[in-house]
Amino acid sequence: MPETDIKLGYFDQPKTKKMLWRLLWAICILSLLLEFFIQRKVHFPQEDFFGFYGLLGFIACSCSILLAKLVGFFLKKGEDYYDADK
Amino acid sequence: MTLINNLPPGLLLILGALLVPFLPGKVKNWYVIALPALTFWHIGQLDMAASLSFHLADFELQTLRVDKWSKAFGYIFTLSAFAAFLYGFYEKNSTQFVSALLYIGSSLMVVFAGDLITLYIFWEVMAVTSVYLILGRKTKKSYQASFRYILVHIFGGLVLLAGIILTIHQTGSIGFDAFDSEMATMGSWLILAGVLVNAAAMPFSSWLPDAYPESTVLGGVILSAYTSKTAVYVLLRGFAGWDILIVLGCAMSVYGIIYALLENDMRRILAFSIINQVGFMVCAVGIGTSLALSGAVAHAFCHIIYKALLWMSAGAVLYRTGKSKCTDLGGLYNSMPWTLVFGCVGALAISAVPLTSGFTSKTIIIAAAADSHLFWVWLVLEIASAGVFLHAGIKFPYFVFFAKDKGMRPKEAPKSMLAAMAFLSFLCIYLGMFPERLYNILPNSELVKQVMPYTFYEIYIHHFAHVVTQVQLLAFSGLVFFLFLPMLKRTNTIALDFDWFYRRGGYFINEGISRGFNSINRVANTIIAQGMTGRLADFFADGSARFCLLFVRPVWALSGISYKDQDVLAGKFIRKFTLANFSIGCTALCTLAYLLLFVIW
Repeated sequence: MPETDIKLGYFDQPKTKKMLWRLLWAICILSLLLEFFIQRKVHFPQEDFFGFYGLLGFIACSCSILLAKLVGFFLKKGEDYYDADK
Repeated sequence: MTLINNLPPGLLLILGALLVPFLPGKVKNWYVIALPALTFWHIGQLDMAASLSFHLADFELQTLRVDKWSKAFGYIFTLSAFAAFLYGFYEKNSTQFVSALLYIGSSLMVVFAGDLITLYIFWEVMAVTSVYLILGRKTKKSYQASFRYILVHIFGGLVLLAGIILTIHQTGSIGFDAFDSEMATMGSWLILAGVLVNAAAMPFSSWLPDAYPESTVLGGVILSAYTSKTAVYVLLRGFAGWDILIVLGCAMSVYGIIYALLENDMRRILAFSIINQVGFMVCAVGIGTSLALSGAVAHAFCHIIYKALLWMSAGAVLYRTGKSKCTDLGGLYNSMPWTLVFGCVGALAISAVPLTSGFTSKTIIIAAAADSHLFWVWLVLEIASAGVFLHAGIKFPYFVFFAKDKGMRPKEAPKSMLAAMAFLSFLCIYLGMFPERLYNILPNSELVKQVMPYTFYEIYIHHFAHVVTQVQLLAFSGLVFFLFLPMLKRTNTIALDFDWFYRRGGYFINEGISRGFNSINRVANTIIAQGMTGRLADFFADGSARFCLLFVRPVWALSGISYKDQDVLAGKFIRKFTLANFSIGCTALCTLAYLLLFVIW
């Protein structure tokens, strides 16, 4: 196995991964906390609640992934799908 | 001097292309880098009132129309051509350069065209010359993809031509101006459809992710910029405020995301994200307010830069590793760190992360949607913005440069590639921090600068709230990506798209026709060849004899001949008839009887 011969790169070390996860959570929480200190411009009444953009990002992305998974169930085919009959 | 002042910029590239095959070695590369730079300068020099027209039959063709719209697109087209040729310094093949220059030149001709005929001619030249950028890959797949590519574009071109002819016939004018959505004619609908084929709008979208990822390394970078953005330009000039474009644009932006999430090939992910981004622009054209239209131009400008940058980094990976599937790639951050850094700048810019160009251009379109009180449109665009971060912002760099290390240790990209990527990365960040220069060249620039903040202080300090909401949106999108990572595991698959209808559909039509017609053939064979022909032959051989027998048999019966003898006689009768050897007396008697009958009648 060639993979075991290679020294784990910086981004593959468990320590780094753990740190990056913490960083990601920190940015999420910080962006929420900052909302207490700003005067957000509200375009529509529907968006006028705390953490709207965070919630939107979370819901939109999880729904996109789930939708992609769902349609992938029907639409995903093997790579030689179009060449099979040639 | 007048001619030089009024020279269509596209002509510089088209005529310049003719010289390329005669230049030796690296001179050729320097020459093709210099040519778009010269054209960029020329566009800057063009007077706003500059115009060049000539007569063809009864029509006056306007090959040069200069205003803020055409200039803005002219600048970005030449700028990205410059970067692309710098990137392509490794390339030795003249065909690639000639076809690229002709392609870019004709897209500039379309942008500066003032009439529909000039527009159409160069629209078609674009389709033909761009094929060589795909064919140049010289694989079976690229050959087949380019075949489908040209077929779709011939179809789109013919629809456009039909629309143009109808419009000219109806209005008597060949001028390329705005089409009225209130009084839409068949002609303008057909022109819209023809243009939408090139914009990769649904359901004519699949040619783009089908063909571009099969192109050459340099070809992919060049193709990503011109065809769809020329279409956006024509939409901007001709179809501003057409409501259907709002719906189409929103659909495109969502479609691009879902398919990019399903995709395994890195360049195909980027191809789907072109459709997603063009969706934003098409939607802005549909909204149709001055702010939205300027936003579309700004977004096209920034999009061309960061999309070229993304294609460059993907191209560099393909160039060094020969692989483009996420399942084959991974862990390249070790060996191609600079390609990673520049690719990430492009990925952040397309995701509209603050301090990058996407943040200062996409915001205009979303603000325009909000200003027009279109809640659902605004919401879809915000959702699509989050989705962009998911597929182009994280998925592309993650699966190519990180994810599972596949143990590949290729060399870093060539220096010329890195230089081009550095140049575009600089532009992405510069336009994100100081967009004023971009806003200045936009149509309705005064309005844009009134509504949108344009200095660094205004954008990032005074409007800090917007920075926070944008970071919030993107941070939570990123969180979703890593939380759902097990669901995003790449597989060696493709996802069926609209091209199924002409790729598999063609096969089914062929099968259907084959089965349908062959069964008709079989039935016809049974009834006619095997059944009817024999019977007809019999009928013509002895039909008249049997007819006569109908009259003769009663005579025999009256004469008292038995049925058995009658059959024997009938057999002889028929034989005589078929051999036509009646005695002469008989025939003469019949003739006489017939004549008598005729005379009496």
